[in-house]
Amino acid sequence: MKKVALLILSAFTLTLNAQIETPAPNKPQKIMLLNGIAHIGNGEVIKNAAISIIDGKIGLVANAAVIKINFNDFDTVINLREKHIYPGIIAPNSTLGLTEIDAVRATNDYSETGEFKPHVRSLIAYNTESKITTTVRSNGVLMAQVTPRSGDISGTSSVVQLDAWNWEDAVIREDDGIHLNWTRMYNRWKREKNKNYDQELVKLNNFFADALAYSKVKDHEEKNLRFEAMRGLFNGTKTLFIHADFVKEITEAINFSKKYNVEKLVIVGGYDSWMVTDMLKENNVAVMLGRVHDLPQREEDDVYLPYKLPHMLFDAEVLFCLQNAGDMEAMGTRNLPFYAGTAAAYGLDKEEALKLITLNTAKILGIDKTCGSLEPGKDATLFISTGDALDMRTNDVIAAFIQGRRIDLDNHQKKLYRKYSGKYEN
Amino acid sequence: MKNLFLFTLLFCCSFLMKGQETFNVNGTHHKNHNYYAFKNATVYVDYQTRLDRATLLIKDGKVVAAGLDGKVPIPENCVVYNLEGKYIYPSLIDLYTDYGMPETKKEKGPNYGPQFENNHKEAVNWNQAITPEVEAGMLFTADDKKAEELRNLGFGTVLTHQQDGIMRGTSALVTLANEKSNLVMINSEVAGHLSFNKGSSTQDYPGSLMGMIALIRQTYFDADWIYNNPQQDELNISLNALIEDWGMPQIFEANDKLNILRADQIGDEFELQYIFKGSGDEYQRVKEIKATEGKLILPVNFPKAFDVEDPYDAMLVDYSDVKHWELAPYNLGIMAQNNIDFSITTADLKDKKEFFKNLRKAIESGLSEQDALKALTFNPANFIEQYDQVGSLEKGKLANFIICSGPLFDEKNTIFENWIQGKKYTLKDYNRIDVSGNYSMNLGAKIYALKVTGDPEKPKGSIEIINMKDTSKIDVSIAVEGNNISLSFNPNDDYQKASIRLSGVISSTGGIWDGNGQLGDGSWIKWSAIKSKEDVAKPKEQEAKKDSVIVPKIQYPNMAFGFDSLPKQQTMIIRGATVWTNEAEGILKNTDVLIRNGKIAAIGKNLEAEGALIIDGKGKHLSAGIIDEHSHIAISRGVNECTQAVTAEVSIGDVVNSDDINIYRQLAGGVTAAQLLHGSCNPVGGQSGLIKLKWGSAPEDMKIHDSTAFIKFALGENVKQSNWGDFNTTRFPQTRMGVEQVYYDAFIRAKEYQKKWDTYAALPEKERLKAPAPRVDLELETLNEILNAKRFISCHSYQQGEINMLMHVADSMGFTVNTFTHILEGYKVADKMKEHGAGGSTFSDWWAYKFEVNDAIPYNGAIMHKQGVLTAFNSDDAEMGRRLNQEAAKAVKYGGVSEEEALKFVTLNPAKLLHLDHRMGSIKVGKDADVVLWTDNPLSIYAKVDKTIIDGAIYFDLSKTEERQQANRMEKARIVEKMILSKKGGEKTQPAKSKKPKLYHCDTVGE
Repeated sequence: MKKVALLILSAFTLTLNAQIETPAPNKPQKIMLLNGIAHIGNGEVIKNAAISIIDGKIGLVANAAVIKINFNDFDTVINLREKHIYPGIIAPNSTLGLTEIDAVRATNDYSETGEFKPHVRSLIAYNTESKITTTVRSNGVLMAQVTPRSGDISGTSSVVQLDAWNWEDAVIREDDGIHLNWTRMYNRWKREKNKNYDQELVKLNNFFADALAYSKVKDHEEKNLRFEAMRGLFNGTKTLFIHADFVKEITEAINFSKKYNVEKLVIVGGYDSWMVTDMLKENNVAVMLGRVHDLPQREEDDVYLPYKLPHMLFDAEVLFCLQNAGDMEAMGTRNLPFYAGTAAAYGLDKEEALKLITLNTAKILGIDKTCGSLEPGKDATLFISTGDALDMRTNDVIAAFIQGRRIDLDNHQKKLYRKYSGKYEN
Repeated sequence: MKNLFLFTLLFCCSFLMKGQETFNVNGTHHKNHNYYAFKNATVYVDYQTRLDRATLLIKDGKVVAAGLDGKVPIPENCVVYNLEGKYIYPSLIDLYTDYGMPETKKEKGPNYGPQFENNHKEAVNWNQAITPEVEAGMLFTADDKKAEELRNLGFGTVLTHQQDGIMRGTSALVTLANEKSNLVMINSEVAGHLSFNKGSSTQDYPGSLMGMIALIRQTYFDADWIYNNPQQDELNISLNALIEDWGMPQIFEANDKLNILRADQIGDEFELQYIFKGSGDEYQRVKEIKATEGKLILPVNFPKAFDVEDPYDAMLVDYSDVKHWELAPYNLGIMAQNNIDFSITTADLKDKKEFFKNLRKAIESGLSEQDALKALTFNPANFIEQYDQVGSLEKGKLANFIICSGPLFDEKNTIFENWIQGKKYTLKDYNRIDVSGNYSMNLGAKIYALKVTGDPEKPKGSIEIINMKDTSKIDVSIAVEGNNISLSFNPNDDYQKASIRLSGVISSTGGIWDGNGQLGDGSWIKWSAIKSKEDVAKPKEQEAKKDSVIVPKIQYPNMAFGFDSLPKQQTMIIRGATVWTNEAEGILKNTDVLIRNGKIAAIGKNLEAEGALIIDGKGKHLSAGIIDEHSHIAISRGVNECTQAVTAEVSIGDVVNSDDINIYRQLAGGVTAAQLLHGSCNPVGGQSGLIKLKWGSAPEDMKIHDSTAFIKFALGENVKQSNWGDFNTTRFPQTRMGVEQVYYDAFIRAKEYQKKWDTYAALPEKERLKAPAPRVDLELETLNEILNAKRFISCHSYQQGEINMLMHVADSMGFTVNTFTHILEGYKVADKMKEHGAGGSTFSDWWAYKFEVNDAIPYNGAIMHKQGVLTAFNSDDAEMGRRLNQEAAKAVKYGGVSEEEALKFVTLNPAKLLHLDHRMGSIKVGKDADVVLWTDNPLSIYAKVDKTIIDGAIYFDLSKTEERQQANRMEKARIVEKMILSKKGGEKTQPAKSKKPKLYHCDTVGE
């Protein structure tokens, strides 16, 4: 019998030295998570679960009571007793790693100048050293779609995991999609009709028509970087993310992408998407719903409308997930689990709510083969909370794994907490 | 305060007969002292005296007499007009115009950075928007093109002033006659004018509505000081003018129902009763507006219907705008029914031609014709104390009157003539013969049926030619000149294939035309046309008698989720809930709470009370209402007065906005009270407004009146203007070093100021009466309130160094910092805060938005609490404000505060920080019944607000939300349908749009 450690998680001690959080070593390990409450991410719960992590992947997912486990097969066995296991939460449409301090321009790398910038790639600007990221991980958010902002086409996003030395080993899906900010029919600040809407639409149509025509020829003698970046939309290797809220903009966006044979379309924001669910379903269009913790957009809207939208879209059987773009979005990413909690408070089953930040997100980002749920063969990217992770009252993440590596949950804020708690203790 | 504000200046109105005696005449003098008599008319001598078959006699531009026919002797040198069937009214008066004023242009401001001083370097006031020295009488030049526009509507006299700035100077009363300025001016100084609008001023201060209010106050104090202490080094033409004009009527352009209440508040403080220029939404706060006792000047520029035929576009139009569209025409009638005196103005009407159309709408919507006439004649004259000159046709008044075809407000009425100062202005010639009707026209043996329609000045004729197969209509061109009539047409029938041209004379009765005509071959014929009998004796159209007008429902506030009537206090028992008392009793399971007369009356088991509403609390949790220590909702036109480093004189309490939908949204999140704080862009910001979220009430009824006074201070990047771009690098301070000096300077000045007043007060009375009094300085008065522990500080703060600094300033100046708000590095100096006695109201987990919040940690609340600092969580954000219970739960998550203590972070602790804990913050017998019933543990994300109760009245009820939304939907749909009909009926529309949402944060600059 090899060394078998039957650990209780409280034995996980915080490293008290103030070193910078370091990516976990990538050595093959066999770990058994035993007796926890497993929230699979696909709607199921296993109350007394046995979940194995074999070399970075999930091996076994089963009811511990009905299977026989040979502890000798594992380097580590962790007894979770009543604790909750969740798939790693995914933050889509995020500026994590692209910004450090909102007000300090030099720290902001999400907004390139220009109008049509599909060739601009967020991945290479993703800062693995961001102090914000480590505070986000400690609430269970372990992956993100790093997304550029501004302009008509803001650029190309990539999906990363949040424990890496550099952007190369962070990447889960490189250049997953292009982000188009749909021209507003109503001016955002004046709240009046945008008089330039038709003109701006002509520009957009011209750009897509050119890009589509360009894509028909494989090799161009003179390359156009913008159009090269657009190819993926027409051959299905990239998703088109259209950011739109107003119902007319959503329907226009859907018809627009059909016109240019865009294979995969996702509506981001989608405040009014509940009004056109049939159209969304007919065209296989998914939605990344805007902030659940937001104010209603119109005076007479249900005061809880943003809280209720998830339930409404669920009832209409639209594929959708949650995101949190907006003011102070990077630091607010750590509250993503609570958005799902509110969705549950306002009508959704808790496990369905969990899907909105795990498996549904993975499906929409095209990474569900390896991420998004606790299922055999997928990446062992998961976390453990002593209580219900969707409720801030009980969310207490005590361990997290990314691709099987147990990550350091310490962060800048915890260090300061210890430092100053120490000041008063001494 | 001595007696300027009681003092009424006797200023002489010069009513000398205007004769242009002082002017030289080129050529022969042409003096005319004839009489003019207007007989057989229906004369409205004043708005309530109607004389049928009466005579008006005028001479030299004045009324000589008005009386029944025969009772007014007609002198020999008299031109007599027979006005059989016509109506005479006094010409109308408009109090709100800029007729004859020079155009005001926005002045050129600085190219770079802020403008601290007045651009004008004359001996005037320091602030560019304070120009009481402007005299419309000096600026006025008669302008007949503009005059004509108003004359055509029946106006004869207008009050005019330069509509620029906050204190705008005086107005002049002028007639609309086409004469030299000297002749039309009745009175060159009539009223003082004010507004809440900086106009062309480029000076930064004031940058907010509350700044304007403070500036008006300070200016009045300055004028009073100069008045009582004339021996000053400084001669200030502006203030001297203000003193001179003090006794005049003062007209305040409020342009918003709440601004009327705000202006009235200022007026009350200085014993002034303003006349308010409103905007047409006064019906929404009629009770409060009546209580101001102010007279109103009201426009009739009703909003256009929106284009709502596309249902998606219709979603963008705010419910409140839809409601206002329907209710706006009822405004004047509602004012009249409430016995509020008002005059009607053409101001704000883009197209003045819509004046009568809109006025008729108001009359259809409940305004009586007599009240309408009163509001256009007697009231305006009376408001400005000029009824002895204009406003009726009594002897000696100006001969300003209009001659109409019928009653003034009839749809078919035509104003024929507008006489001003005895001079005739013809709008339409009433002698012109109206030839419309059906005629039988004979040309020799041929007979045509002629139909004439249209305006008497442009009659249109047509004849019908009946052929074998069909009937065709042939146009007949008709021209009438005096009694002559000519017709031309080509019937193209068996009789004639070429033009027939006829010329003839109209008989005196109008029924018969005859004369000669020429046919296509050049031959002459005789012709005649006879009006058909039924046309001659046309039966008078039955006047559609209006039923009593039903005013559509007004909601409080008049917007989505507004109440039909305000929630009432009830006796109620919340039975069997888990009660979070926030007292020594802790959390009580299965407990009843009795609420009576707005207070918590009993806590216990099996409580009973007669007639009590029983609310089932089983499985639910009852907590004290949430109190937000740091909120920026419900504020009008600017949360920051950023233009100076110290603006202690401004107050959010002056600009509470009861119409913010976020009040209701926060009730839906269990918030019952909030401190509305000034923003954080200067070291000493403005005073706070403390309110209970009593949705539907007027601002004054929301305010917590017996509370301690508070003020906002701020430190760090916002006050240094670090993130304001490259243009804002000159306002002191730009560093934390400068911030400290701002405080020392301010408080040392405040102490010196107090000393001056103390010395003055200590003088023996005889000496004191002779000695010059110090000047009242509202900024320093407020700072002294802090020094005297009558006002307490809530200081926006982040970094430990500056926090420490302010505590040192406070210690050395002898006051205590009550609360550090935001205080994200409070955990670093919790021991020092505790020692100083400061509380901390922080964010649960915000950080990373500015450089100075790099060390903000979510454990901050827990550490401060643990060190004995009174700790609260606040929002600073309309969205987060409605989830403060969840934010409290983060104190459990980050740092392990107990649940009971965590909930206090958003209830009892902010109550303590705001000195309101004697009546709020816990569930204790005798305290205000401000409580929230939750569906779950209030710290849980799964908890929903079941009921929010304030002062024992239910303001939010989860079970009623669906019903209320349904009511909103139906109401909007009903009015949308009306808009569509109105568009189809030919009314003008405007494209769908909505109001800008106002979401203020600490660092929001501008209105």
